[in-house]
Amino acid sequence: MSLVRKPSAAASWYLPGILAGMWFTFVKMIGNILNPKKMPTLNYPEEKYEYGPRFKGNHVLTVKKDGSIRCTACMLCATACPAQCIKITAAEHDDPTVEKFPISYEIDVLRCVYCGFCEEACPVDAIRMGPEWQTAGLNGSKFAYDIQQLAYRPQLKGGVVSVLDDQERHQAGI
Amino acid sequence: MPKIKVNGQEIEVPEKSTVIQAFKQAGVDICHYCWHPGLSIAGVCRLCMVQVEGMPKLQIACNTEVKEGMSVNNTSDVVKETVKWGLDFHLINHPLDCPICDQAGECGLQDQYMQFGSYDPEMAEPKVKKSKAVDLGPTVMLDKERCILCSRCVRFTDEVSKTNELGIFNRGDRSEIGTVQGKPLDNNYSLNTVDICPVGALTSKDFRFRQRVWYLKEADSICPGCSTGCSVKVHYNEEGVWRVKPRVNPEVNGHWMCDVGRNTYKYVNLKSRLLSGKVGKRDLWQEVSVEDAVRSAGLKLRETSPDAIAVVYTGQYTNEEYASAFKFFKEELKVKNVFHWLNNPEKVNEFDGLLFRGDRNPNTKGLENAFASFGAKGSWDNLQAGINGRKFKTVIVFGPEDQSVFPDLDEKIKMFSQAENLIWLTACANKSLDSVGGETWQIPVKTYIEKAGSFTNFQGKVQDFKAGTTIVPQALSVSEAVELMAGREINWNLRPRGVGGPKTNYAVSDRGEL
Repeated sequence: MSLVRKPSAAASWYLPGILAGMWFTFVKMIGNILNPKKMPTLNYPEEKYEYGPRFKGNHVLTVKKDGSIRCTACMLCATACPAQCIKITAAEHDDPTVEKFPISYEIDVLRCVYCGFCEEACPVDAIRMGPEWQTAGLNGSKFAYDIQQLAYRPQLKGGVVSVLDDQERHQAGI
Repeated sequence: MPKIKVNGQEIEVPEKSTVIQAFKQAGVDICHYCWHPGLSIAGVCRLCMVQVEGMPKLQIACNTEVKEGMSVNNTSDVVKETVKWGLDFHLINHPLDCPICDQAGECGLQDQYMQFGSYDPEMAEPKVKKSKAVDLGPTVMLDKERCILCSRCVRFTDEVSKTNELGIFNRGDRSEIGTVQGKPLDNNYSLNTVDICPVGALTSKDFRFRQRVWYLKEADSICPGCSTGCSVKVHYNEEGVWRVKPRVNPEVNGHWMCDVGRNTYKYVNLKSRLLSGKVGKRDLWQEVSVEDAVRSAGLKLRETSPDAIAVVYTGQYTNEEYASAFKFFKEELKVKNVFHWLNNPEKVNEFDGLLFRGDRNPNTKGLENAFASFGAKGSWDNLQAGINGRKFKTVIVFGPEDQSVFPDLDEKIKMFSQAENLIWLTACANKSLDSVGGETWQIPVKTYIEKAGSFTNFQGKVQDFKAGTTIVPQALSVSEAVELMAGREINWNLRPRGVGGPKTNYAVSDRGEL
């Protein structure tokens, strides 16, 4: 239950309250001008906040050393995804050593809750949560990321190479 | 019958049965790969180890016969250790590529490792590499690395299909499954080897990489591919049906089914189905709701005098549907001209010796029974003459569900369309029906996976099945169509709602420009 308080007689004189508020603002302004390093705010977008390396931002699909997609289309990420925003279509690769690969891989990032379960579920380090978080778009379809966007967007500079390499594993007899 | 004790539980088992069968009968889980109830005993995997009281060493359950008063267990520490390290040996050269393996989710190795294994591997040597993605034939792919050499597939081709295509070549850890001199694994039962393969070594080309098995649900059904009527499991999800697998039924199909029957899921899916009623003449037809189409067809039927109606049945509907259709046409409309459209009369009595029969209708016997109990059937010549002589004004055809098994479909459509009005109940869309001359009603009906009912197989055995999933919610069963044709109401509340097919994420598809 909310308690209804009648305004006191002093509060009906609003001018002292306004002056007190303006004094507070003035003191803070002087303080910030004299000591700008202690200012808690940022001049976005000229200045941006740096998150830690473990920040879970937009997804990145890693690539193999030859630049092809690392994902094997096992669909464990899609299975683990609580938001059901990952859609994969698997296909047979011409190369018998690759066998299975995703012919389409789509993440609907507007549905994504950035929980990172996909990254945890992936057995071959094919999907990671990247550092990017400032994504804007004028159209809803901009937020359905495909392979081109997830693995080869310009920010990634040709793709992030996966730590797990099939050829090396094969030669090591694993 | 001997009484034995399985893990302390006393059971009575049939004479000459083996210990593993006793375990199965008692419902006790036992680790095994090479033993299969439909095949001979090989005893190669050595995993079904049990301790028999009074015997100094462990025995394999699959090749030990039961004896009166025997006491066996697989819960003692020594059995558990043996099975555990036996599994480790099986997995020495196994590639563990579960992410790209189609068997993952229904794999014997995965299940049994979790249940009986759970060890840390102690093998430090490099694995023996073999070839992957080997093309064995038109239906099956082989991965030699994944194979654990249980020899089930080899025994299957040897004992059941008797085609002897597969064999084990080389020795020791270089042993591998292969075909003799590259002869392809090409017989009508080849996909059974995929079913019995306990690992992902043999995979079906048709199903390979299309779905992960844990996304699929199972429904029991009866195969409509031929008059044998094998018991099957249909695997489906909201996008449609993906595969058909056999279900154990000792009276009809045992453990197996043919490759032809596995293809019956294809025409069930949305792509080939008729989705709405179609009414009209050649190239002037329009799509109407199913209810409108069937009601106007019923109106036409009731207007026509009974002598000018011809009813043509195919053997692809359930007994219940025949009963309601016969009741309506015979008893209410008093139609005397009923005909049986048999697609391949010359092949009806063919049999390949195992399961597959020449009669490609699931319920020919049921239709014949219905004819016998409701009245005689007319000869095909009468129908031809009646249509040509303008005697039959309205022809209603209970068209085939699986159109591919009716080689004479197009010419029959031409023949029927010479009548003034043609009412055609069909599950699948057909191009030739869209371009016939006379007034035509096309009414979508359900396929075998969408309706409940029973088929009578070639032996006269009536087999019930339940509705599995809904692919086309607006399709009617013949019983419902007949009720609507008679001008009565059906209970619409009991019918499936919503639109079939893949789920559309409207939040995505309807996002417009800002």
